[in-house]
Amino acid sequence: MLSSKELSFRDPGLMPIWNKVRNGIRLSKEDGLVLYSTHDLIGLGRMANEVSRAKSGDTVYFVLNQKFEPTNICVLSCKFCDFAVKKGSPEAYEQSIEEMLDILNPDIREVHITMGLHPDWEWQHYVDMVRRIKEAYPLIDVKAFTAVEIVFFAKKFKKTHEEVLSELKAVGLRTMPGGGAEVFSERVRKLIFNQKIGAKTWFEVHRKAHKLGIQSNVTMLYGHVETFEERIEHMIKLREVQDETGGFMTFIPLAFQPGDTGIKTKNNFTSAIDDLKTIAISRLMLDNIAHIKAYWVMLTAEVAAVALNFGADDMDGIVGHERIAHDAGATSPMQLAKEKIISIIHEAGKVPIERDVWYNPLHIYPAEGTSIVSKMPYLNSVPFYSNFEPELAEIKLSPLVPRVFGQFAKEGKVDAGPMSLMDYVASQDEFEMLDYGVAVSGKAYSVLLYSHHDWKHLSGKTIGLTAESSTSVELLRVLLEKKYGVTGVTFERLHLTSGQNDYTKFDAVLLIGDEALRRWKVGLASFLNVYDLAEEWYEWKKMPFVFAVWAVRNSIPAAHKEAIRNALEGSITRSKGHYDELGREHAKRLGLTREDLAMYLNAFTYRLGEQERSAMEEFLKEQAVLA
Amino acid sequence: MQIKQIKEKVFSNQRLNREEGLWLLQNGSLLDLAEMAEHRRYFHNLAPKVTFVIDSNPNYTNICNIDCIFCAFYRHEGDADAYTYTVDEMIERFKKAEARGVRTVLLQGGVNPALPLEYYTEMIRRTRAEVPKIHPHFFSTSEIIGMANVSGLSVPAVLEKLKEAGLNSIPGGGAEVLSDKVKKKISSKKGTSEDWLSVMREAHKLGYKTTSTMMYGHLESDEDIVEHLDITRALQDEYHGFTAFIPWSFKPGNTPLEKIIHTYASSTRYLQMIAFARIYLDNFPHIQASWFSEGKKTGQMALHFGADDFGGTLEEENVHASANFVHTTTIKEMVDLIRDAGFTPVERDTLYHTYGEFAEGEYPASILNSERLHQSVDASIIMPTIPLVALGNG
Repeated sequence: MLSSKELSFRDPGLMPIWNKVRNGIRLSKEDGLVLYSTHDLIGLGRMANEVSRAKSGDTVYFVLNQKFEPTNICVLSCKFCDFAVKKGSPEAYEQSIEEMLDILNPDIREVHITMGLHPDWEWQHYVDMVRRIKEAYPLIDVKAFTAVEIVFFAKKFKKTHEEVLSELKAVGLRTMPGGGAEVFSERVRKLIFNQKIGAKTWFEVHRKAHKLGIQSNVTMLYGHVETFEERIEHMIKLREVQDETGGFMTFIPLAFQPGDTGIKTKNNFTSAIDDLKTIAISRLMLDNIAHIKAYWVMLTAEVAAVALNFGADDMDGIVGHERIAHDAGATSPMQLAKEKIISIIHEAGKVPIERDVWYNPLHIYPAEGTSIVSKMPYLNSVPFYSNFEPELAEIKLSPLVPRVFGQFAKEGKVDAGPMSLMDYVASQDEFEMLDYGVAVSGKAYSVLLYSHHDWKHLSGKTIGLTAESSTSVELLRVLLEKKYGVTGVTFERLHLTSGQNDYTKFDAVLLIGDEALRRWKVGLASFLNVYDLAEEWYEWKKMPFVFAVWAVRNSIPAAHKEAIRNALEGSITRSKGHYDELGREHAKRLGLTREDLAMYLNAFTYRLGEQERSAMEEFLKEQAVLA
Repeated sequence: MQIKQIKEKVFSNQRLNREEGLWLLQNGSLLDLAEMAEHRRYFHNLAPKVTFVIDSNPNYTNICNIDCIFCAFYRHEGDADAYTYTVDEMIERFKKAEARGVRTVLLQGGVNPALPLEYYTEMIRRTRAEVPKIHPHFFSTSEIIGMANVSGLSVPAVLEKLKEAGLNSIPGGGAEVLSDKVKKKISSKKGTSEDWLSVMREAHKLGYKTTSTMMYGHLESDEDIVEHLDITRALQDEYHGFTAFIPWSFKPGNTPLEKIIHTYASSTRYLQMIAFARIYLDNFPHIQASWFSEGKKTGQMALHFGADDFGGTLEEENVHASANFVHTTTIKEMVDLIRDAGFTPVERDTLYHTYGEFAEGEYPASILNSERLHQSVDASIIMPTIPLVALGNG
């Protein structure tokens, strides 16, 4: 079950759809059309907002990014675009790599590059563009080239799509923007995008990118000649491919700007209601896509702000240059200052998180007077959140992996959550422990060491460590040193995004949480030994292992603590006995059955008693005397 | 307090008290507010229809002795760009407006102490006589107090004179936020909340219909907003003289207050205000969305957050324009905006008498026989413009 919320609607036609949504049942094309035709915008928004809340808590992401369109010279002349010009035209421009580097600064974390299909530029120029940005600013990640550009490169430079993509990946390409998708309808393509690649080729390129570990976004350009049916079909096609690859991060509906494009629309801009509906419907239809972006440059800042309550959880970033949309008449401010974005997100009642290109949180900016609760995005934490309904609006949820929660807690930005045991120990002065946590007596299934060697033979070897939790790392060290007497092991941190890791170069790899669960049945590469660390501890000590404890910052108002405790108690109580339902969303993602789910979640203890407390002490005693 | 209790009250058509109001304003999520506001909206006006008025907002003078720090419009006597039009000049303008299909003129100053009471009564009398298709919606409370000062008459006596001349509705501007603490800061010479209220009360007593407004997004607190609505609601209980409530956000451009408040409030805040007003003002038949002050797309959204009126076409407007805040529309576009938001557009007059609905593809006849509007229909429609002051650091 995705949400236990009982909603009622002005349009009774929405009720059957909500019943599907809250039970995690996928919406059909007909459902999508009902949603487009409803007059109950608020009812639609409330459903989408609940889905967004289940996925992203109260968080809205943004990224400090710089957009580049290094040239407007393009061999195509698409009807809907008034950006592209021909070589020799007075408006034609070319931006050199040096000019691009001059614009960048170290605060920027994402560079977005798309451009016209230039008739003369060499392959090396594109490779250098990515490489030199990454060399000059190692913290900047490059999101570049739409599928249309990739196809163009492949044809022009006589390479396969894979070659183009992997050569770019080798010099620093991280993700791909979602442009060029327009509307996945042959009818519409023939009418106005006939020079662009069709849906089939577009998906081919993205499939290949996903296979190479390059995640991507996907757009939908709406508000021109397409029908509602074609919009829904667009979403469904996308959903099907996402089932296969899982490589799409974000869906971005783009409101069409007719400007001087010559395409006639009724009004010269989409209606705000159509904009909000499209955001909300995409959130409801695309059950397997993590994020929906309210792209304010095309939507206007006014609509984007409201869209944050209609299912969008990403507000894009500080856009440096946005020539394409502005040449066609969008009049949003050229740059929304970071403070303005933060204040818009606060006013929407949400929590701004500055992210990197993969949505890893870098900074969090809670509004004054709010208390932030960390929402552990793991399956084993579902019982804490599935019915977490604090009675105070000041309590906000943000999905944070343990490492990031620990970091933000230390910075004083996050106030409560299931804290990794080691983080709690390090911050006991500022946090008090509630009687809740994650403990297990026996197998945890999700803290696994994949190894080429058995325990005894790990001396002197290199182990790749999940960057997500310090407690499981400490547990591993305790087991190695104290249980098995193994020494001289070298540890190396893995990349947070699994697609960026080459596991094969390690002698053993420690995976935790969902990353471990995903491999529960299938294993990892050629690692033959799989050790469940909790089970190893239990067999050794005959005691449960406590991975995390709920901690609350001492200094937050007593009413907030009370509200958090009540919400938590309510959620744990109401979740018990419904584990197979509750985890359905996660199960789909992780490839688990309902039986797996029930077995997995039933293994954990969520209320901590005397036994758990003494187990914690025992572990800390062992850990304290490590080399 | 919990959202559940408040929802129960609203859904059973009960009134919220001040404490509940404040709690809701501070704790209600945007969509909770919207859900309750829609309940109230459809309680008052069952059909998914939205009214609008073809109107014009000219000014007869920009000379003003009140010096509000949120205003970019006023000038002092002797300033190079100060102006005052004669009644003849104004009647000429009204005639032109009438020919273009305008039904209502919302006329306001400046509070210019050089003008005698006869100037105002003559303006009303001649409008009624010479421009009969135009409904005069003239003179804010500040101007009426100004007339009382100039003439030596009491406010009720001035209102009587204006009524005799043919006035039966007055605009609700100038309320800003009905909190003396705030008023002292932003408009110290404009008088107290009680001044605004007492003019309104006297007007309602005499049978005038008026609107009620609120300008937020400057120095007010949530408590001030609740107080404003509470006072307004109490007055409405007495005579039911208010036709509609109209909130708008402060526009900082070219005003002294710009130095303190750099940006105008977000669309989220506006929709909160619309919805909250609809919930709290249970005795107001209409809540007006202002495409003009908040942008067209925000205006459209407001129709799903409790508003049931889209305001006027504002054929002429000078006050927001002085703050570099300009939105323009055409009658045709206005009708389309309402329709695209999912509602049937209905033309009305100032007193909310309706003239007729417009089905898909239908527009008010006036656009066909008006030269100016013909041109503007053909001209490209201007997108909402966000002034650069919105960018955060001014």
